[in-house]
Amino acid sequence: MAHRDALCSIRDIIDSQLETTDGMAIGRVADIELEMQENGMLLVTALLTGPQALAGRISPRLQKFLRFLLRDRFEGRIPLSEVETIGPTLRLRKRASDYTVGQSERWIASSILRWIPGSGYQ
Amino acid sequence: MKKWFSITLGIVTATGGFLDAGSISTAGEAGAKFGLGLVWAVVLATIAVMLLVEMIGRFSALSGKTYAAAIREDFGFPFFLLPLSSEVIAESLLLTAEIGGMAIALSLLTGISWHVLFPVAGLLVFVMAWRAPFDWIENAPALLGLTILAFVVAIFALGGPSRGLLPTLWQPDIKSGGLPTYLYLVAAILGSTISPYLLYFYSSGAREENWSGKSLLLNRVTAYVGMGFGSVGSLALIVLTAMVLHPLHMDGNSLQAIGQPLGHAFGRVGIVLFAIALFSTCLGAALEVVLGVSYLISQGFGWEWGENKKPVQAARFNLVIILFLCVAMVIGLLGIDPLQLALFASTVIALLLPFSLFPFLVLMNDKQYLGERVNTRIANGAILAILLIAFVVALVALPLQILSGGG
Repeated sequence: MAHRDALCSIRDIIDSQLETTDGMAIGRVADIELEMQENGMLLVTALLTGPQALAGRISPRLQKFLRFLLRDRFEGRIPLSEVETIGPTLRLRKRASDYTVGQSERWIASSILRWIPGSGYQ
Repeated sequence: MKKWFSITLGIVTATGGFLDAGSISTAGEAGAKFGLGLVWAVVLATIAVMLLVEMIGRFSALSGKTYAAAIREDFGFPFFLLPLSSEVIAESLLLTAEIGGMAIALSLLTGISWHVLFPVAGLLVFVMAWRAPFDWIENAPALLGLTILAFVVAIFALGGPSRGLLPTLWQPDIKSGGLPTYLYLVAAILGSTISPYLLYFYSSGAREENWSGKSLLLNRVTAYVGMGFGSVGSLALIVLTAMVLHPLHMDGNSLQAIGQPLGHAFGRVGIVLFAIALFSTCLGAALEVVLGVSYLISQGFGWEWGENKKPVQAARFNLVIILFLCVAMVIGLLGIDPLQLALFASTVIALLLPFSLFPFLVLMNDKQYLGERVNTRIANGAILAILLIAFVVALVALPLQILSGGG
């Protein structure tokens, strides 16, 4: 019972906001990766994001179909060790540019929005 | 002094924000077809929207969360798809109707066909959403929208409603075969006033303006007084079209026709006033709709969002704005009359109200977010009852309307 403060349920992690150390909202947790340990304990090892992970929340078949379609191209994985604080907002240790999750934000800014006047792109 | 200024501004904003293509269409057609027989529906819808706007402000000020974020976190991703899909479907129709309303207003001013002006109106919405800071979006169309008070002045200028009109208040003038249209308008009035996009828009606005527990008084006053004043515009339009169009057996089934009573009262100036009121309320509503949907999607998926940031600092949020406007442009190509589209969209919204507002009621009773300031039982009961009425009437009216060939 020593770690009571650190107790939290899966519900506190799944669907939580991912925020980087520079205050950027890069996405939400779609699913978690678990690892069975030798002593029979389940350990959360990583947070997953992406359309396939989300589809898995709805139906395994849909997930299979999306895996066939997208081939893991848009999936993200953040090791749990990257998480600084747990709560409705999960604060990560590094800056937004250090994660593949939320890359589309930068791609959209630099490939699409920059061509529209007044986008503020530099 | 500053506090009173912000209260006044809040009331003005809420007043202007109340009306849109949907409420102008429904009120105008209601008065022309049924005299004062649908006033009760506007009053009922106003009570609901007063309660809801006060609630969403209280929720966001106390929890520091937006509605969309709370749905995703509390109900999970699979449930989130329900409000997401129902909003995207209903609001894409409504957005097209709002842009169409702007185009008709511009057409009344310039004489150019509204079909040609439709893309121009869409571009205007885009430019505002792309670069204008949040308080501009909230206040500029609302201030212009006060021209709607011309409706009230016109009632007096035309000598007020006749004695014969008054009994339609409790005895609606429903001709044989007119019942489906009557029910359709009841549903459309409820759906156009109690629009869920308001919840996404207001809860995000409270975050954009950093509301806190201190903002609760301001919130309550602006919600009740502002929405109350706003409904005056709708009610005045019903009375006006009931006075002018109803006796002439004119249907009021286009926005141009609904503007005619102002022309009767003030001549060409009246038409210009109507065009300005229509343009600004539709512009304000179009912005609230397109932003409401972008807020919902961005917050639900946990992306950067905000009108006070440069577009590239919230790239996905701004891309959704662009794509959603493109969808409206494509629907606009069908050339459906904006009034008919607004009526249809509002009825669809009424039908979907229980799905979009049920999670809201659950959240409003969650002590974890609101502490002791959760909803009272009376407020819960009132909202539930009105939602149920909207749902049932829409469920009955929509198939009847489609079977009878619309309009």
